[in-house]
Amino acid sequence: MHPTTLILSSTLLIIFALLTYPLITTLSPTPQHENWALTHVKTAIKMAFLVSLLPLFIFLDQGTETIVTNWQWMNTTTFDINLSFKFDHYSIIFTPIALYVTWSILEFASWYMHADPNMNRFFKYLLLFLIAMIILVTANNMFQLFIGWEGVGIMSFLLIGWWHGRADANTAAMQAVIYNRVGDIGLILSMAWFATNLNSWEIQQMFASSKGLDLTLPLMGLILAATGKSAQFGLHPWLPSAMEGPTPVSALLHSSTMVVAGIFLLIRLHPLMENNQTALTTCLCLGALTTLFTATCALTQNDIKKIVAFSTSSQLGLMMVTIGLNQPQLAFLHICTHAFFKAMLFLCSGSIIHSLNDEQDIRKMGGMHNLTPLTSSCLTIGSLALTGTPFLAGFFSKDAIIEALNTSHLNAWALTLTLLATSFTAVYSLRVIFFVSMGHPRFTAVAPINENNPSVINPIKRLAWGSIIAGLLTTSNLLPSKTPVMTMPLPLKLAALLVTISGLLIALELASLTSKQFKTTPNLITHNFSNMLGFFPAVVHRLAPKLNLTLGQTIASQMVDQTWFEKIGPKGVISTNLPMVTTTSNIQQGMIKTYLTLFFLSTALAVLLTLT
Amino acid sequence: MSPQQLNMAAVGFRNWARALSKGKQTGFSALFSQVRAASGPSKGMLPGPYPKTPEERAAAAKKYNMRVEDYEPIPDNGEGYGDYPQLPDRSQHERDPWYSWDHPDLRRNWGEPIHWDFDMFIRNRVDTSPSPVDWHTMCKHLFGFVGFMLLMFYFGEKFPSYQPVAPKQYPYNNLHLERGGDPEKQPEEVKHFNI
Repeated sequence: MHPTTLILSSTLLIIFALLTYPLITTLSPTPQHENWALTHVKTAIKMAFLVSLLPLFIFLDQGTETIVTNWQWMNTTTFDINLSFKFDHYSIIFTPIALYVTWSILEFASWYMHADPNMNRFFKYLLLFLIAMIILVTANNMFQLFIGWEGVGIMSFLLIGWWHGRADANTAAMQAVIYNRVGDIGLILSMAWFATNLNSWEIQQMFASSKGLDLTLPLMGLILAATGKSAQFGLHPWLPSAMEGPTPVSALLHSSTMVVAGIFLLIRLHPLMENNQTALTTCLCLGALTTLFTATCALTQNDIKKIVAFSTSSQLGLMMVTIGLNQPQLAFLHICTHAFFKAMLFLCSGSIIHSLNDEQDIRKMGGMHNLTPLTSSCLTIGSLALTGTPFLAGFFSKDAIIEALNTSHLNAWALTLTLLATSFTAVYSLRVIFFVSMGHPRFTAVAPINENNPSVINPIKRLAWGSIIAGLLTTSNLLPSKTPVMTMPLPLKLAALLVTISGLLIALELASLTSKQFKTTPNLITHNFSNMLGFFPAVVHRLAPKLNLTLGQTIASQMVDQTWFEKIGPKGVISTNLPMVTTTSNIQQGMIKTYLTLFFLSTALAVLLTLT
Repeated sequence: MSPQQLNMAAVGFRNWARALSKGKQTGFSALFSQVRAASGPSKGMLPGPYPKTPEERAAAAKKYNMRVEDYEPIPDNGEGYGDYPQLPDRSQHERDPWYSWDHPDLRRNWGEPIHWDFDMFIRNRVDTSPSPVDWHTMCKHLFGFVGFMLLMFYFGEKFPSYQPVAPKQYPYNNLHLERGGDPEKQPEEVKHFNI
């Protein structure tokens, strides 16, 4: 066997072994020592990252991809489910990035969660999540993907509700599970369709046998799954609510890895979608609506984590738009670059929140640039990368997407919405930096604010390097599979930059108004719409549960109980018998009229029957 | 053992059981009545039929630990609610978060009458607290926004962006061979534009 493929398969399976070893050691009854989280888990992930660089370099040099089928799990005469790993372009690049980001987040979490009595369990949950995520991205069949899919959903529930004594955290965890479940309906529908029509869950066989079939139904199921997992409009409220969890959870799950699982599913199964215009249009319109709606909501939020969460949702909408443009590779590029700067934004927010004694309201921050210069600089770098500043990480993916959008013969409204959302990105990013780093502090100086702890600073620095060079490195080493449009009018080429700069200028103009004496928070319709998140949670979370629960209660107690205890038994007997009884006894009252009527009726009936 | 001895044993057991259930209710004797009480609410505590007379109302109010003035049974419309009180449809979200409740997570004190839909009104479920914007405005704005977006997407499909200015022009004699043309025959030239 060729040594390259042997090295590739072995290293990739070693990664799984390295990651699962700390979990297996927790199965013993003896408790782990206090530093287990750092000595075992963080080391395992660091090792796994370094090991994963080897397949990455082999892939970059030689373009080797491999499919490893290990074990025949459930095989019948007609249907096979195997343990099968696909290490192709997408998973070989995503795995090192996920491991790098997770390594930084774990180091940060060792500082953020150091006062938590169950820190070891927290790290165990994060490790379990990461394993589920890697199972998801390396899955070569739908069943294995589903295992990873559900795994990340459950770990998200456990981690959002980490502080389970807090009712809001429990509600947020419930929201995450329920909204993801609605998306899972779509995924299971698609899986059932594939199993019955294509007779396989192996990705290669699905692609080969689906030529010429009408795939609209399973594709709609997959889009529903992506809507649930990646918080597209309609199933999006769980993502901002998920900020109830600790900041490392928000940084890992709800910005870089878990929420991109839905988009990743669509990227993986993209050959099925290429020729189906309905599915592509749905992705495009849904993504455009999501990106604008969530960017609008982010404009007036005051909680720093919520702003970053809505920013994540907006970027996920942009990724969905890219899929609708038939450009899965660009969407994947955006996933990779987005992971770096979004995780860094969350870590900087977490550092600032902890320094200010758990204050999350940006109206009570300010002047952090003087107090924590490195953190606020990295916040600025992350925001610049997010808005697509030329030659930072976000530029390579975001600008390419906007160029592709501008030069596509597609829905003009989707184009308008996406450009508007790009300008809003600049606005709320500036808002965060203005309120957090600039100006004077709006809090009382309590704890000495410092940046002395290397477990905080090193992860942020590492991710800052990633935010700066990741885009350049990725695009220099990987060829695009679809030829980008090379020539376009100059305004279209500069469109992304122009709308971003105009958003920035508008935001600066609005920010300068804060130092003048104006009425506070005017009661504008648009402000209310934006601040209350489009009224979506307020309407849907009150209406739908109330209807469902009252319906359930009425069915259970009134309908079922009353039916079985009363209507089937005594009252039912009465209601069927009583009319007959009254009719019969009324007939037999002894009135001649009644007898005569009956006599004539029956005679007429008999005559009619004999005559006809 | 002979039948006579078995009979004696049964009598002895019966006397012992009677003594335990009816004797002084302390210590071991109280076990039977405690076990019976712990198996569910007593007949006097369960909901009863709809109260028709003021005395029945007063008794029902006392049973539910409410004042007679506050007690209002659910209207008797054949749905079988009996004398259960009609409490206001207010969720636990609306209760004071800073008061020291007996059950802080439920924001409820011991002995308080429980709403029929209490499981719906806990803090993890439906919230009835007043919103800054009233319900009809919220619904109007949300569904209006979604409807407007759907309408605009429909128009966007009708009028796509980046319109091509000329038909596509393919190389290799307009892909004559690829489209299954005769290799011997000379195809006519198709040129929509010149670069």
